[in-house]
Amino acid sequence: MSTGIDASSSAAGRPTGGLAADPPRRWPAFLRAPGGAAGATMILIVVLLGVFAPLLAPYGPAEQIPNANLLPPSSAHWLGTDEVNRDIFSRLLFGIRVDLMVVFIAVPFGALIGTVIGLVSTMYAFADVIAQRVFDVILAFPVLILAIGVTAAAGPGVTTIIAVIVLAEIPVFGRLARTSLLTVRAMPYVESSQVIGAGNTWLLRKHLLPNSLEPLVVQFGVSMSIAVFIEGAMSFLGLGVRPPQPSLGSLTRDGIRNVWESPAFVVGPLIIVTLLVLGFLLVSQAISATRRV
Amino acid sequence: MYDSLVDVPIDSVEPTPSLATDWKLGDDGLSLTLNLRDDVKFHSGRDFTSEDVAFSIKTWADPKWTVQFQRTAAAITDFDTTDPHTVVLKFDHKLSNVFDLLDVLPIIDSETFDGLGEGKAYVGTGPFTFESWTPQSELTFAKNADYWGNEPKLDGIEVHIVPDAQSLTSQLRTGQLDLAIGVSNRDVDTLVKTGDFTDTAYEGSERQYYVGTNVTNPALKDVRVRQAIAYALDRERIVADVFQGNGYPIVAPWPKYSPAYDEDINQKYSRDVDKGKALVEEVGNIPTLSLEYSTGSPTYEAIAQIVQANLADIGIKVDLVPNEHPTHIDRLINGKYTALWILDHAYAQWTPSTLAVTAYPFNADKNSSNFVDAKYKKDANAAWEVADGTSPEAVEAYRKVTEDLVENLFLIESNVTWIRIPVSTGVHDLAWTKRSELVLTDTWLDD
Amino acid sequence: MTSYLLRRVPSAILVLLFASMAIFAVIRLVPGDPATILAGQDASPEALASIRADLGLDQPVLTQYLTWLAGMIRLDPGKSYMIGGDIGGLVRAGLLNTVVLTATALLFAVVLAGLAAIGSVLANRRWLDSVLAGANTLAVALPTFVTGVLFVVVFAVILPILPAGGTPPDGFFSRPGIAFQYLVLPALCLALPSAAALARFLTASLQTELGKPYVTTAQALGIRRRRIVLTQALPNALPATVTVLGLQVGALLGGAVLVEAIFAWPGLGLLIERAISDRDYPLVQALLLLSVLVFVVTQLLTDIVNAVLDPRIRLGGAS
Repeated sequence: MSTGIDASSSAAGRPTGGLAADPPRRWPAFLRAPGGAAGATMILIVVLLGVFAPLLAPYGPAEQIPNANLLPPSSAHWLGTDEVNRDIFSRLLFGIRVDLMVVFIAVPFGALIGTVIGLVSTMYAFADVIAQRVFDVILAFPVLILAIGVTAAAGPGVTTIIAVIVLAEIPVFGRLARTSLLTVRAMPYVESSQVIGAGNTWLLRKHLLPNSLEPLVVQFGVSMSIAVFIEGAMSFLGLGVRPPQPSLGSLTRDGIRNVWESPAFVVGPLIIVTLLVLGFLLVSQAISATRRV
Repeated sequence: MYDSLVDVPIDSVEPTPSLATDWKLGDDGLSLTLNLRDDVKFHSGRDFTSEDVAFSIKTWADPKWTVQFQRTAAAITDFDTTDPHTVVLKFDHKLSNVFDLLDVLPIIDSETFDGLGEGKAYVGTGPFTFESWTPQSELTFAKNADYWGNEPKLDGIEVHIVPDAQSLTSQLRTGQLDLAIGVSNRDVDTLVKTGDFTDTAYEGSERQYYVGTNVTNPALKDVRVRQAIAYALDRERIVADVFQGNGYPIVAPWPKYSPAYDEDINQKYSRDVDKGKALVEEVGNIPTLSLEYSTGSPTYEAIAQIVQANLADIGIKVDLVPNEHPTHIDRLINGKYTALWILDHAYAQWTPSTLAVTAYPFNADKNSSNFVDAKYKKDANAAWEVADGTSPEAVEAYRKVTEDLVENLFLIESNVTWIRIPVSTGVHDLAWTKRSELVLTDTWLDD
Repeated sequence: MTSYLLRRVPSAILVLLFASMAIFAVIRLVPGDPATILAGQDASPEALASIRADLGLDQPVLTQYLTWLAGMIRLDPGKSYMIGGDIGGLVRAGLLNTVVLTATALLFAVVLAGLAAIGSVLANRRWLDSVLAGANTLAVALPTFVTGVLFVVVFAVILPILPAGGTPPDGFFSRPGIAFQYLVLPALCLALPSAAALARFLTASLQTELGKPYVTTAQALGIRRRRIVLTQALPNALPATVTVLGLQVGALLGGAVLVEAIFAWPGLGLLIERAISDRDYPLVQALLLLSVLVFVVTQLLTDIVNAVLDPRIRLGGAS
């Protein structure tokens, strides 16, 4: 593990969470790597398509167009129309928004809770024992099995998707925060500051958090990509968003249902999901690579 | 595998002989004498007698087994089985739909009945005998060489349970299956286009799709709101887009051949957005309503989304709520729907009185809409307690029930549709019953 | 070693016990009463009561839980409510399909990873490395539902050369050629992420091996690179790779749920989906517990293997 080995360089390439907020004079290191730049571009394209969906989409996401039942792609309907006469291209653009919302709410939320639990558990042995057992139990369920169980109890919907992602991410971040904190704490410089009498909170803020942050940030990117996967998989299995709301997963499901009519129905969501997932993964790989050098 | 006493042909409600050769209704309408065939043996080799009829009906009436027509079976209170080949049924009251029951009711073997619940023994008198069952996978039947009717031409039947539509279609294409149930209309059309399949529509065992309303919901209490919904419904579009034209719009539940069918009533609530809007404005202040549907089939989801758009046209906002099928049925049984729901029902293909005493959403005593109405209850019972289900007196009673249904609109019918099955061109003489069961007795295959 | 096992095994059992409680509790929260579903639309109260009694649903929840747990421990999960038949039989049938699928996927993963890693090391070309790295990232990133749907579209719809789903009609063993056609798409789809992880690991280990002095010696002796890689470096890199492979088994079983749904593969994944939508409590509970059991056992085995390989873990604190 490369975690925080070189504490003195932590200021150099400190990863930024956001993409648009880059300082104009200097790009973060990960963006200068070709993979990172490509990944960031992919995410940016999808985000822009989602944000400007109301301007770009020729129809509303739930608008039923008279006499347009399952039309193949044409200049009027780029990706064709679905079973209830809606423009698939428009639904795709609006579906991106749902995914972005789910991903950008659920992952930070799960990461925050998990990290806090992880931090607390390094301080109190009792909390540690409980947290680790609970994490064991949650991690013992494959994520889709977890999703099936939660949805069966709570009913499908955006909130359920968010709940599943949060639930799945808490132990991941909890474990990671705990391990990396323990690793950093064992570093000689931390021990020496403890010897000279530094307080716990000061230590945590000044040294421990910044240095254990890097693996968390890398994981954050991976989790984003997993979150897109979870939304897609849940909606694909019919456990996701409620109609008429579109999401990338539900569009894939609708598309595959009519794939024998025209394979074009399913192409749109597949491309967007690929861009998003690949984008998050490339960025997180780039962050971890630039930090390691 | 099983036979019934009579067969009600698919395109009428008049019974024809099966295990019973002829019958006579008592003068008071309170008894029915049936003469039985004397050449029938169960698969176990035992002779079929009037005792078996009594046993089968009594079993059917036992609420523990909870089946359709249970109320009708329970109204048969006494049996005379002194002659092994004649049975006399005594009724609690006149029963206009007794032949529906006798059509549905399988004659079972009392000696092996206990094995039935455990899925071990299925002994009837039918053209095929039960061979084996592998849960979730396969059922096999063999020819009953001692069948009392025409000897079956098939040596046996294998029923494969295929979990998804795609592999079902591809197994049909590759010739692994001769016919399949549960193929979507679109896939049937595609298969027929290949030239290797013909399309058999189960006309006569129709299903009706409808929008249900909980009349105790404050917003739906006002019949004008229900009328507005009936005007808003784009039935033609549902038939065209969801059922690919396999069906027709209805306002009352009856299919065209039913004695209760009335063309004028069926035109009454043709789509009229302006009338719907006017009614909604007249009532004013309708809150957002929930529309529940089952996730059991994409059909429900498509209809729900069309209905949502239709109601938006007249100014009623609707939230879609997907229920898993078991939850949906649970809510249907217990009348627990919040406002609106989408589902389908059957039973309108039988004697019309059957509907109001058997189909849950229509039950006059207690129904999913929580619709309680003395007049409807009276009319429903009157129609049930007519002696002859096709007499002019009965038809008049059905008309009253229909009027109640259309006046109160606690269920807003959308359309009739029927199941279609793709059948390989090598399969001949396939038939089916009103119960949507295939009849393979006379079926034969090309070599 | 014994003391290490004594520490790890009780904790694994504890996880199983907690999981069993969680499963049982969550299943009770699911709306929809199995008795009303079984009884059908025209059920009378008597019928409902008799069905509830048959199923034991009229007992207190704690009694139901203990009865169930006792049954599971005796390896007698009971009967399925809805699908019918013995749960053991249903699970065995599903398990066979899932195991065939997963085993084929594992085989694919090993072959693909081996080819990629050895090819990359042998060729030692920059462009090939870039292509393989790109393919690797794609294979890791693409969700199974994307690759699965893509496979269906390309190989079953556009070029109809392979079946879009289902299992071979006459079993896996009577006509292996046909069976392979049915297996290839789902297994490949399931294998890709694991193949990528495996390839990455194997390439790295091979490169490490090739940097070792014995290789330099061998090269100095004039032995050809291919021979060094195949006879020296590969055997040395294998043991660690096998451990990684073991870890992938868990991932494959988890991924099987989605792959089975896409390709209508009647394994445990489809069974659990069906069981949940039918409110088949005993079946759902048994399957969930089975999935947790598989996970816990895989974890335990991996830990033990690691402990055997690395004495520090065995002696150090448990975590």
